[in-house]
Amino acid sequence: MPDATDILGNPLTEAEQKLLAAYRTLESLSGEELAPTAKAGVAEATACLWQVINNLGLTDDRPAC
Amino acid sequence: MSGSPYWNPKTETLPKDQLRALQGHRLKKAVERAYHTSAFHKALFDDAGVGPDDIQSVDDIVRLPFTTRDAWMDNQAANAPFGEMCAVTPDEAIRYHTTSGTSGRTPLRVLDTRTDWKWVSEMWCYGFHGFGVRPGDRVFFAFSYGTFIGFWGAHYGTEKMGCLVLPSGNMNTPNRVELIRELEATVVCATPTYALRLGQEAENLGIDLPNSSVKRLILSGEPAGSIPASKKMVEEQWGAKAADTAGMTEIGTIMMFECEQQPGGTHIIEDHFIEEVINPETGEPVDYGEQGERVVTSFGRSAIPLVRYRSRDLVMKVPHTGCSCGRTFDIYDGGIRGRVDDMLLVRGTNVYPRAIEAIVREYPAVDEFQIYLWTKDGIRDEIAVRCEVRPGFGDQWSGIAKQLQSDLSHNTEGLGIHVQQAEAGSLPRFELKAKRVLDERHVKGASHA
Repeated sequence: MPDATDILGNPLTEAEQKLLAAYRTLESLSGEELAPTAKAGVAEATACLWQVINNLGLTDDRPAC
Repeated sequence: MSGSPYWNPKTETLPKDQLRALQGHRLKKAVERAYHTSAFHKALFDDAGVGPDDIQSVDDIVRLPFTTRDAWMDNQAANAPFGEMCAVTPDEAIRYHTTSGTSGRTPLRVLDTRTDWKWVSEMWCYGFHGFGVRPGDRVFFAFSYGTFIGFWGAHYGTEKMGCLVLPSGNMNTPNRVELIRELEATVVCATPTYALRLGQEAENLGIDLPNSSVKRLILSGEPAGSIPASKKMVEEQWGAKAADTAGMTEIGTIMMFECEQQPGGTHIIEDHFIEEVINPETGEPVDYGEQGERVVTSFGRSAIPLVRYRSRDLVMKVPHTGCSCGRTFDIYDGGIRGRVDDMLLVRGTNVYPRAIEAIVREYPAVDEFQIYLWTKDGIRDEIAVRCEVRPGFGDQWSGIAKQLQSDLSHNTEGLGIHVQQAEAGSLPRFELKAKRVLDERHVKGASHA
């Protein structure tokens, strides 16, 4: 079930929901068997997108990379 | 939204009660993470009889013990090379750095993960964007890179923002000035001291900086970025606006920045840090408007959790309402005002190097200076300000020196401070943190002559 609010309890905007979904997609890819190019790219993209969802206070998650 | 003056409008303008709720939430998570991933912190918290469950809101922070540099250094020495503060293994990290620091026996060694590095850069983006830097700006870094963390994060932050980054790691001062001119840099990043040095070099080379492409300077690494007289000198020399920022290797980035409104201080990035101000003697919190030691808790860096770290920096916090920019982030009036351990005791009088600099920089005749201390006849402490005189002021120097001596004496409870003329080019120049105090009171036979 998608998150409905940020960590302060404010409803997520449509853009915030999309950002969070994109982050979750990247996170789910990190556990997959990927080519080195994909693995490194996913880790880099996850770290980048985490800054956004962290800045916007969308989740407490923290990536392992 | 893309035209926003704020890098992160959502949190930079958050009502204060919500900002505190956010800090409380992140504090709890940071303490949980530190407790479970850093052996240093687990031992520290266990010794203090406090654990993650004791932290429910930002007010609970006072239940946590302070972290000190000495404890960190001792732990690193006992568990070389990285110590138990570090919450990741070298295999999980992507970069190694050390402190440069104006104090300390040996450097602190830090490791950062990929996510940490993005966060380090992100903090710089708050500062650069907040001072009006935008995609398309050409940002020159007068910085040697290396293992000192310095402007590394700013380099990546401005790349992320879409600026054209101009690094100058292996260049000397004249070459840097030439490159700034040739590539039409619009923003220059340097320590305040080195910004002045670049300005002097431009004069020597006949380059007209006030009419150059440079519109902004981002200063960091020394308190001078918020000393009005020093900042004014930099701004006049460059014909550009200068913003102060301040950070530390222990957190890997900046925790405060000056916005375009230039309120006479720096906004604390309060969605990523809790900054407390305490009496350095008692450890008790001080009120708004009182000077004290800043204590930092950082939420962003996973490899180096930092909880209630005593910075030894002297600051004075004032409410965010002191600035008209709309941010709800409180302000350190005057930026970093010095170091707790900077104070010099001369014949019973407290002397702060920052206060000396604030006076000396009101004198455009002074090109560079040094504070020199020695013991006269083996018993009496003496202090002198050695000044290199700017070309063109030699004839007037005698009168200027008298006035400077009087101003220094007036601002140090009548302490007699000598003013000495130093030979042009004889005093050290600095690219990183300036060290302008030469204390030879312990050196037998030292004198000002």
